[in-house]
Formats: sequence, C-alpha cells, structure tokens
Amino acid sequence: MIGKTRFLLAETGQNIWRNIALTIASIIVVAASLSLFGTSRLVANGVANATQRWEGGIEFVVFMKADAEPSQLAAIEALLEESRGRDVDEWTFVSKQETFDEFTEFFADDEELLGTISIETMPPSYRIRPTDTDAGAVEALGTQFETKPGVRTVVFATEVIREIQQNASKISSAALWAGVALVVAAAIMILTTISIAISSRRNEIEIMKLVGASNWFIRIPFMIEGMVQGVVGALLAVPLLSLARKYLIEDFSESDTLRLLEGFRVTDGEFLATSLIVIALGTGVATIGSIIAVSRYLDV
Amino acid sequence: MIRLENVSKEYSADSPALIDASAEIDKGEFVFLVGASGSGKSTFIRLLNREEKPTTGKVYVAGKDIVGLSSWKVPFLRRNIGCIFQDYRLLPKRTVAENVAFALEVIGRPKHVIDQQVPAILDLVGLSEKSHRMPDELSGGEQQRVSIARAFVNRPLILLADEPTGNLDPDTAVGIMRLLDRINRTGTTVVMATHDRGIVDTMRRRVIELNDGHIVRDQSGGQYR
Repeated sequence: MIGKTRFLLAETGQNIWRNIALTIASIIVVAASLSLFGTSRLVANGVANATQRWEGGIEFVVFMKADAEPSQLAAIEALLEESRGRDVDEWTFVSKQETFDEFTEFFADDEELLGTISIETMPPSYRIRPTDTDAGAVEALGTQFETKPGVRTVVFATEVIREIQQNASKISSAALWAGVALVVAAAIMILTTISIAISSRRNEIEIMKLVGASNWFIRIPFMIEGMVQGVVGALLAVPLLSLARKYLIEDFSESDTLRLLEGFRVTDGEFLATSLIVIALGTGVATIGSIIAVSRYLDV
Repeated sequence: MIRLENVSKEYSADSPALIDASAEIDKGEFVFLVGASGSGKSTFIRLLNREEKPTTGKVYVAGKDIVGLSSWKVPFLRRNIGCIFQDYRLLPKRTVAENVAFALEVIGRPKHVIDQQVPAILDLVGLSEKSHRMPDELSGGEQQRVSIARAFVNRPLILLADEPTGNLDPDTAVGIMRLLDRINRTGTTVVMATHDRGIVDTMRRRVIELNDGHIVRDQSGGQYR
C-alpha cells in the first residue's frame, strides 16, 4: 500500500513537472476565475451590509448625541410628526439598545472595536423616508435637523450608496457571470493540460496496460494532477479575495466614521463562507475536468 | 492454456485479418507463428492478451473465455501474459533496472519484492552489470533482453513475442532465442510471431503458418518452409 501510494505520488509529481508551464497556466486561470467569482459574492455581501440601513426608501438618518436629553428626542419626534404627510412619508426610531444590538451583530468579529463601546455610548437615531426623493429636496429636509439641539449628525444615503444599491445586482451579477465563464475556461484548461499530459506519456501508459496495471492505477496520477491544479488555484484565490475585501472596504469607507456609519463591510464569517465555497468550487471543477479528460483521452 | 475456436477478426469488412482460426496451445509449449506480412500473425497475438476482441469466435486463456471478460478484469489477465516486441518499447528516461521495476510497480508489488526480483531477473537475462544504464546506452540485443526481463519478471504463464528478433543481427538473435528457450523450459508457454527462417528451422518447434488470415499449417517440430 505504501509502495503503491509512493509510486502514484511520484508519477503525479513527474506529470506535473513535465507539464509545468501548462500546469502553472491552469493554476492561474483557476485562481483568477475563482477570485472573480468570490469577489462577486463579497461585493454582494458588502452591498447588502451597507444598504441594510437604507432599505425601504430611507434617505437619511438623524443621529442624536449619546447623551441627548429625552426632551430633545421629543422635540425631534414632534417635528417629524408635524412634517408627516408633507415632507416626511415615514420615520422610525432606533433606540440605544437596538443600535447596540445591530452594532454587536455587525462587528461581531471586531473585538477591539466592541471593547470600546457600550449601550450608553450608542447614539439613538431616526431613519427617515421623505416624500420627495429628489437629492436636493432630501438634503434641504435633512439639514433642517442638523442644527436642532441634541443632534450629532445627519447621514444621507450618499450618492455612492445609492449608486451601489441601484447597481448592486448589476455589479455582482456581471462579476458572477464573468467568474462563471472563467470557471468554465479553467475546467477546459485543466482538461487540456491533462490530455496533453496523457499524450506525452502514451508510451508509459501503453506499457502499463500491457503489464496489467489496473485502470484506476493508470488514471489516478492524472486525476490527482488535475485536482492539484484546482486546489492550488483555489488556495491562491483566497489571498486574492482577501485583497479584494480590503480594497473594497478601503475604497468605499475611507474613514472610520464612514465605515461605522455606512457599514460597507464584509464580515469574517461571510469571508470564510466565500473562501470555503471557492475552495470547494475549485476542487469540484478540477475533479470534473480530470474525470472528463481521463475518460475521454485515456482509453484503458 | 490457449484455445481459439473459429475466430475471425475483421478490422474492415473487405480485408479480414483472421478467418475462422482454431488452434489449441498447451501449457509449456513453444509455438512459432509464421507467414508473410499482413497474414494475421500480429492479430493472432493481440487477440490473446485482449488488445483486440474477435469479430466472431471464442478465445480461451487458462480456461477462461477472455472475449466476454469485463474491461476491469483485463489487467488481471495481462498480469499472466508477458509481451515483447520488435521495437523493445522501453521507457527511454528510465534505467534498465527501473524499466523492469516499472512492470512490478504499476501492479502494486511491494518494494521489498521489487528489490529482490529485479536483480534476479536481470541476472537471468545477463544484464546485472548494466542495471544502471539508460536504454540508449545499450545495443539492440541488450535492449531486447531488458524487454524480456520486464515481460518475465512477474513470472507470467504465457509469453507473447511479436518479431522479437526482427531488428537484430543473426548472432544476437540466437542469444535472444536461447533466452526465450530457457524461459520456455521453466514452464512458460511461448508464442512467437517471426519471419526468421533460420531460427524456426534450427529450433524445430511447433509451427502455425498463416496465409491471408487462414491457418494453413499447424505442424509440430516444423520448419519455416
């Protein structure tokens, strides 16, 4: 058994070494396709996270100071009620506790950040859906609240967020389809690499058949070769995804305040899930490519 | 050991390679297949290790019908059949010893068995001194000895030889025939296709002659003609 395993591994190693240029090309295609595919998922996650607060037509949020007096809250609510039906279509209050819960859920993996906050430090807020969604009208309405006592800041659904929200499905589905197309290309690439490996070793294969090597014994080194390409490509895609994640967060939320308020963020859990999917996909695609190659080109 | 019953093989409808051939070869026999090029000798041999299936008829090896053998069992049939060829078919990037070991490695023999059997068989074929040479450093006769060592290292019941002396000068060919004779005397059945009149006439073994796919002569202690 040990002898068999060693022989099969040595054969696989030799296959890969003889075919090194194509193997590297395959690995690159696998890595590129999977990182594109994974990025599409990360973008979708980020967009969902960033726009969660802005769902349902919310155009701006009035953040109160953490230490705002109940009377100051009452004044804002009175103003909102007064404007209801005219400028304000709908509004909701988000309490300190709700904000804290949302925060802890969202930044569950950022212990350092969570260590610095408490319920008391959380700003309560009002999420407002205006009747007129024209950018100028929204801004005019929102800025009215900025100067009210107890108000910390007013955050608008920025152009970026709106644009992302509107284009979210376009962006991530475009990346997804490009990723899928490249994954198919990767499978074909692996298939071709293996078929070339098979044809470059046809003498060995012929002799293996003549001396009675079992069909699986002949096939396995080629299948492992294909799977190595898929797995290595997938493992390379993970750091690429990590770069994409960092780039996305940095690009969309340059400052800490914005990061906290706008929340364009991919959680560690989401990143891990995407990485695992990418690795599974890489392995799966390589396995399928290898099986097709050996059953098509390896007439045992 | 080997039995062909009314075997025909057609690669294309207008030129059958073997027509209604029947023959029985016992264990330990040495049989020459003779005939002109294209007479069906190679097809005869390829039917015995299931490289080809007959169009009609039955082929039995060691009592088993190998025509209906499922493809996953074919390797196990071939472990009992050694093959040698006119062009040796050695792996150019492996040494003599590695070429022979390859035949055992690919059927999953453990290393200690390989380490013991490879030197023994190289000794038998007279190549102990050259076990670390590459095939291209050897003469044709020596390469054919390596190929015989590879075919015989697994102690097959049958040795099939397709023109094994076709590329060799007469003296070297005699050496190869002595080796095959020695292997035959260990009880291994040898079936050898050849054009070499001198060898057939000298050895005086059973001769099966093929002509246009028909067995036209089956004679023990025969001559080439």
